[in-house]
Amino acid sequence: MAKKITGPQLILANRLDDGRAVFLTSIGTWSNNAADAAVAQNEAELDTLMTVAQAADLANLVVSVTPVVADTSGGVTAPAHIKFAMQARGPSVRADLGYQVSPNWEQ
Amino acid sequence: MYAYDTYDHAMVNARVAEFRDQVDRRMTGELTEEEFRPLRLMNGLYLQLHAYMLRVAIPYGTLSANQMRKLAHVARKYDKGYGHFTTRQNIQYNWPKLSETPDILQELADVEMHAIQTSGNCIRNVTTDQFAGAVADEVADPRPYAELIRQWSSFHPEFSFLPRKFKIAITGAAEDRAAVKWHDIGLVLKQNEVGEVGFEVLAGGGMGRTPVIAKSMRDFLPISDMLSYLEAMLRVYNEQGRRDNKYKARIKILIDAMGIDEYRRQVDAEWEKIRHVPIDVPDEEVARIKAFFAPPPLPVLADAATEVDELANANFIFKAWLANNTGAHKVPGHVHVTISLKPHGGIPGDATDEQMDLVAELADAYSQSEIRVSHEQNLILPHVAKSDLPALWTKLDQAGLGTPNAGLLTDIIACPGLDYCALANTRSIPIAQTITERFDDIKRLMDIGPLKIKISGGINSCGHHHAGHIGILGVDRRGEENYQLLLGGSGAEDASKAAILGPGFNEVGIVDAVEKVVAVYLGEREGDESFLSAYRRLGPDVFKEAVYGTD
Ligand code: HEM
Ligand code: SF4
Repeated sequence: MAKKITGPQLILANRLDDGRAVFLTSIGTWSNNAADAAVAQNEAELDTLMTVAQAADLANLVVSVTPVVADTSGGVTAPAHIKFAMQARGPSVRADLGYQVSPNWEQ
Repeated sequence: MYAYDTYDHAMVNARVAEFRDQVDRRMTGELTEEEFRPLRLMNGLYLQLHAYMLRVAIPYGTLSANQMRKLAHVARKYDKGYGHFTTRQNIQYNWPKLSETPDILQELADVEMHAIQTSGNCIRNVTTDQFAGAVADEVADPRPYAELIRQWSSFHPEFSFLPRKFKIAITGAAEDRAAVKWHDIGLVLKQNEVGEVGFEVLAGGGMGRTPVIAKSMRDFLPISDMLSYLEAMLRVYNEQGRRDNKYKARIKILIDAMGIDEYRRQVDAEWEKIRHVPIDVPDEEVARIKAFFAPPPLPVLADAATEVDELANANFIFKAWLANNTGAHKVPGHVHVTISLKPHGGIPGDATDEQMDLVAELADAYSQSEIRVSHEQNLILPHVAKSDLPALWTKLDQAGLGTPNAGLLTDIIACPGLDYCALANTRSIPIAQTITERFDDIKRLMDIGPLKIKISGGINSCGHHHAGHIGILGVDRRGEENYQLLLGGSGAEDASKAAILGPGFNEVGIVDAVEKVVAVYLGEREGDESFLSAYRRLGPDVFKEAVYGTD
C-alpha cells in the first residue's frame, strides 16, 4: 500500500563502494547532484521511484535508500530538511569539500 | 610503549584478511547490507551523511611518532587530508571508500594499530589520563592496566555481544582527567593503608539521553584481582542488562533498576565462582607489561631555563602558552605540552596530514617519540625538556598549532554534529567556531580562567555536554536547529550533571547566552573563584535572569 506523503519527495541513498550521497533521477540512474533528482508528487509516483531505488539496493549499487521531502521552491530541486540538505552540499564547515564545490568535485 | 608480540600481529593481520574477504563478498552481492553492516561495524566502519567513516583506536590515547606518521599518511592517501581526534581518544576519518578500507586497515596493522571494537556492543577502547606516566600526582601509571584490560577484552568471546556498548576508563591520579565517573566502569588507582596499590571501582556511569554519574562498587580492589572482578561485573551485566530496548540497555539503567548494593552482591557471588579460574594474569606477566611503559630515561635538568624566560618576556603569546599549555613533569626540568587542536575559528579536534606529520617530527625531536591524545581532543607531547620549549612552540605556532588556550573557554569539546553525523539533530562545530571568534582575546580568556564548554549535536552526548561547565545540546525544533544551554556539569573528580537553564536558542542566540553567562560569572565571582565554583555557590537563578530576563 502506498504510504501517505506530506509533499513532493525525492530519493536519497549512499553509493555502496564509496558511500557518497546520491539522488535517484527520473531515468533510474543515480546522480551526485540533487538538482537532477526525480520528484514524486504523490504516493503512486513515490512507489514507482522506490521500486527502482530498491532494485538498485538489491543490485548492490546503493545502500540506505531514503525518501525525503523535496524543496522545489527555488526552481532547483533540493532536500528540504537541513539534514538531507547537508548531504546534498557537504559539511558546512568545509566549503572546500563535498558537492558544494561541484557535483563532480572528486573527479 | 606496548609492542605487539607475534600473537597480536597474527590476530590483527588475520582480522584484516577476514575483512578484505567480507568487503569483496559485499561488493559482489554475496553478502547483503543487512549481513554486512554488523561486520563492518566490528571493524570501526560506519556510514555517515556524505561517506563512510572509519574510527581507528588509539589505545589509552598513547601513540608513537611512527604511528602518528601513519595516521597522516592514511589521511593523505585515502582521505581528504585530515582526521578528527575524538573524546574517546580515537581518530575518525570522514571520507574513506569501502573498497579501500581493507588497505587502510592493513597499513594500520603494519604499525600495530586497528579499528577493532571501536563500534558495536562490545568493550570499547579503554581511555585514560593523557598525562599518564608523566606527572607526579599519580599513584601509578594506569597504562599497563589499560593494556591488560585491552588484551583481556579484545575478542573476548563472551563479551562480543553485550546488551550495549561498554566503556571503561582508568586514572592513576587523584585529579581525574579521564572522566572516569562518566563511564560504564571507572577505575581509580589508589594506595591502601598498608601501601598496596589497587583500584577504587566505580560502575554505572554514562551519558546519552539518561546521564548518570558512576557509583562506587568497591573502595579497594587489589590489582591482582582486576580482571576476574571485571569479568564478574561484565557477566552480571551481560546476563541481566536489557536487550529489549536499546535506550535502556546500558549498565547504568541496570544498576539504577536493581540498586548498586544488589548489583554488588550479585557481582560478588559471581566473582566467588570464578576468581580462582585463571583469568587474572600472574605477577610476572603484569611485570612484563609494565616494562613496556617504563619511564623514558630523562636526565634531571635545571628547573630554570633562561631561553624560556627571555622569549616569555618578549612574546606574550608564548608566555600565555607556557602558563596554559604546559604542566609540571615528574622529572625536574621537564614539562608535558598540550598541543591545542582548538584554533579560534577552527574545527575542534581536526588535524591535517601535515600537522600530524609535524607533531610526529616534534615528538621525535623533543618528546621521546611519544604522543598522547586527550579526551578533550588535543594532542600531548608528554616528555619535553623546558629548554626546548622556545624552539618547539615556534614550530607549532608556524603550523597553526600554537594556540595558548588549553583548559580555557575556547578549548571546546564538540562532536562532529550534523556536518558529518547521520544521527545528529544539529550542527555543533559552527557553534564552537562562533564562540571562539567571540572570545578571541587571550587576555580576556585568561581572566575568565578555567571553563569547559562541551557541545553535542544530539542526545547521544558524544560531545560530553552533560559534563560541561557550560554544556550545549542541539535539538531539532520543527526542522530548525535549536540549542539548549546547560550549566554546572563536571567530568572531573567532582563530577556533576549539568542542568538545563531554560528554553533553547537559535545558533546566534546560544552564543549570546554563553556571553551573558560568562558576564554574570565575572560580575559575581569572589576572589579567584572558578566558574564552576561560582555556579555551585550562586545556583542557576542569577544566570537565568541574565539570559532570559526577569519576566
Ligand atoms: C559520527 C559517528 C558517531 C556515531 C554514529 C555515534 C553514536 C553514538 C551513540 C548512538 C551513542 C549513545 C550510546 C548510548 O547512549 O547507549 C554515543 C555516545 C557517545 N559517543 Fe558517539 N557517535 C559518533 C561519533 C562520536 C565522536 C566523534 C565521539 C567523540 C568526539 C563520540 C564519543 C561518544 C561518547 C563520549 C559518548 C557517550 C558515552 C556514554 O553514553 O556514556 N562519538 N555515540
Ligand atoms: S552527539 Fe549525536 S550528533 Fe554528535 S556525534 Fe554523537 S550521535 Fe552524532
